Amino acid sequence: MTSYENSTNTESKCIISTPGQRLCLAEDKYIGGVGTYTRQGYIMSCLAGIVKITAQPDKRILVEVRSGKEQTVVPSAGDIVTARITQVNPRWARCAILCVKEMVLAEPFRGQLRKEDVRATEKDRVEMYKCFRPNDIILARVLSLGDAHSYVLSTAENELGVVIAYSEEGTPMVPVGWQEMQCPKTYVKEMRKVAKVSPEIISNENNKEAAN
Amino acid sequence: MSIAPQLLRGPSLMAEILLSEAEKAFIHHGDDLRCDGRTRLDYRPIILETGLVSNASGSSRLRLANSDVLVGVKVELASPLSEKPLEGRLEFFVDCSANATPEFEGRGGEDLANEICRFLQMSYMSGDTINLSELSVLAGQQCWVLYVDILILECGGNLYDTVSLAVKSALYTTQIPSIKVATMDGDQPELELSEDPYDTKRLNTQNVPCLVTLMKIGNHYLVDPTPEEECCSSSGVVVAVSGSKKITAVRKIGSGSLHPESLVSMLKTASEVGAVVNKILMKKLLEEETAGKTQKVGFMR
Amino acid sequence: MPVDSRRLQGPESAFSYTLLEKKDANAEESILSADLQKMLIDSNHVRKDKRKPTDARPLFLRTGIISQAKGSAYIEQGNTKLVCGVYGPREVQKKSDFRLNGQLFCEFKFAPFSCQKRRSHQQDNEELVLSGLLREALEAAVCLHHFPKAQVEVNIMVIENDGSPLAAALTCASLALASASIPMYDLVIGAAVRQLPKLLLLDPTKDEEWQPKLNHDENNSNLTVGFMPSMQQICAYVHEGVSNPEELEQMLKIVTEYCLKVQPVVQLCLKETVEKMLASEGENNDAE
Repeated sequence: MTSYENSTNTESKCIISTPGQRLCLAEDKYIGGVGTYTRQGYIMSCLAGIVKITAQPDKRILVEVRSGKEQTVVPSAGDIVTARITQVNPRWARCAILCVKEMVLAEPFRGQLRKEDVRATEKDRVEMYKCFRPNDIILARVLSLGDAHSYVLSTAENELGVVIAYSEEGTPMVPVGWQEMQCPKTYVKEMRKVAKVSPEIISNENNKEAAN
Repeated sequence: MSIAPQLLRGPSLMAEILLSEAEKAFIHHGDDLRCDGRTRLDYRPIILETGLVSNASGSSRLRLANSDVLVGVKVELASPLSEKPLEGRLEFFVDCSANATPEFEGRGGEDLANEICRFLQMSYMSGDTINLSELSVLAGQQCWVLYVDILILECGGNLYDTVSLAVKSALYTTQIPSIKVATMDGDQPELELSEDPYDTKRLNTQNVPCLVTLMKIGNHYLVDPTPEEECCSSSGVVVAVSGSKKITAVRKIGSGSLHPESLVSMLKTASEVGAVVNKILMKKLLEEETAGKTQKVGFMR
Repeated sequence: MPVDSRRLQGPESAFSYTLLEKKDANAEESILSADLQKMLIDSNHVRKDKRKPTDARPLFLRTGIISQAKGSAYIEQGNTKLVCGVYGPREVQKKSDFRLNGQLFCEFKFAPFSCQKRRSHQQDNEELVLSGLLREALEAAVCLHHFPKAQVEVNIMVIENDGSPLAAALTCASLALASASIPMYDLVIGAAVRQLPKLLLLDPTKDEEWQPKLNHDENNSNLTVGFMPSMQQICAYVHEGVSNPEELEQMLKIVTEYCLKVQPVVQLCLKETVEKMLASEGENNDAE
């Protein structure tokens, strides 16, 4: 078995690993992180990238492989995703998932937001048209991988819901309540399921917009 | 030897079969005894009958456990391929009808059918197996084309083996009419069919290969897997073994991987098993022929 | 895959002029295997392209040649040249094959001008089979559970085929997948070997590859293997022709030895890819 454990790059002083390369023993001391897997008692790399070794608070050592490129991400249950509404009807809204957590997807995945999952309370009184309009940008949580067609999303949390919406006139609206947004130009109020965006999320959102 | 750590998925297109943990454990770690009482290198009982379809030049029906295959061979005249002017040819076509298993509905069976077709072609290709120059009628102008149509009536696992045995039996019984090249009328040769319908010739099928599928399960491998066993295995090999124990084609099937050592031992076993299967098949075909037709059993029974 | 079915296929009756050339050499059909061996190799055991029987052709690898793809690679193995592009993970296009595990979609295509005989634009039977073989081989290497419900697309385009295209495609595809940061258990290295009655030729060219011919098929065959070097596992195995199991064992040994030699080359290429990526990232950061 050829192994290149010592092939350090002198210039940048980092170890570059390739898939299938043995990194270290899988002992209690070492934890395999992102980009690794364990086989026959060893932690192996499954990506081509830089080996990152970080000491954990509990004195264990985390071994990770970070590739230069964006990680391979797909939405998984529990993730917060950013999506654009594409279609609304009385029972559900369709959307295109654009980002998973902080990572922008190269291609959108389809998602579905059912009426029951729009908010946590008074579920039976939700009216879809008063919550979303096509082209709104929403934050949502992935409930499950769903079926062959789409992921199942939920906005049943205060922090989730519409974050960016345009008025009929075409200007970005500002939230004026958890159910309303107002156009700064025409002062027309429109109904939305508004997300309560906390400051740190806003800064993330800005980053995302910049990335888009 | 480590099993590739991905989720194990049956390599064939079989429907997902529900198995309990105990059943899986038995298939994975059981001794040389399988669920149906066989050892690892045993086949299930095979039912074979030839000459069932009156309109075909040769036909056979073979049932191996729940897999039922009907093969008809039609001989036709055609001009030879420009690359091979001195040879006739064999054309295989597998029809995975939706009757066999719901998986085949629509275009579902197409991939499997293509795979089987192509592998049969591959294993028949070398000159050692079947002498294609026997099929030449007039060099460069006329040759026999054998259309081997394989109809899968019921799909119960291990299709490669079942199909290959049925094809070999059908080819064994195939009657090719005698044809004479008569007067050369100018440049046009005239072909003359013999008036006696029993004036036919047969192909030499002694060396036609049988396919042996070996599935790797846990640390061992087995022949003639049941659908349950196919579910528990991620990889295997299909080996074409000719009558003279030679290997004429191999390909790995399934999404798993194999250690070189186990692969080599699988190939050796396959060639042994294949030779035995070939021998028994030829013996049975001869027996059937000499016994004469008392009554037909028919298919789908 | 969408296929342009309206594209003009050209007259069916057209055939390559090279067939005419061979007309007088009909005798070739019945060449004895000893003569065949002489045709491929001279008395000093040197092949037509000045290689020894166990020498492979020079290998050239490069990554990142398709800017639109998530990962891409180009391989040159003598005159066999092919490109591989990797896309995804993206949504599965065909709804019918929904599976919770990740999937691979492989397309193997010969360019119409890549072989001696012109290829059609639509995938023919051989290309479909090669696609299937490639998929089955890569499925063993890629960590499919990392992208549930999605599929990764691997497209191979053979620009020039001078023998052993599947072997080159395997190496190229695993390089492209690794450069696309698709998690893999191990690299896949492809290699091919041609068996002659008393001789094995590693990495055969088109002329050296086994062709089904009459009368001299005893112990003549072709073997292509996909090998995962650090896992010591075989993920692709295709054999055509007539051989004994013992000979196959010998062939497998030669091929896996060669794969172990190629592994550092592929690793080096990947390391350079990562370094290049780091360097360009560093530049970007400096600019900010």
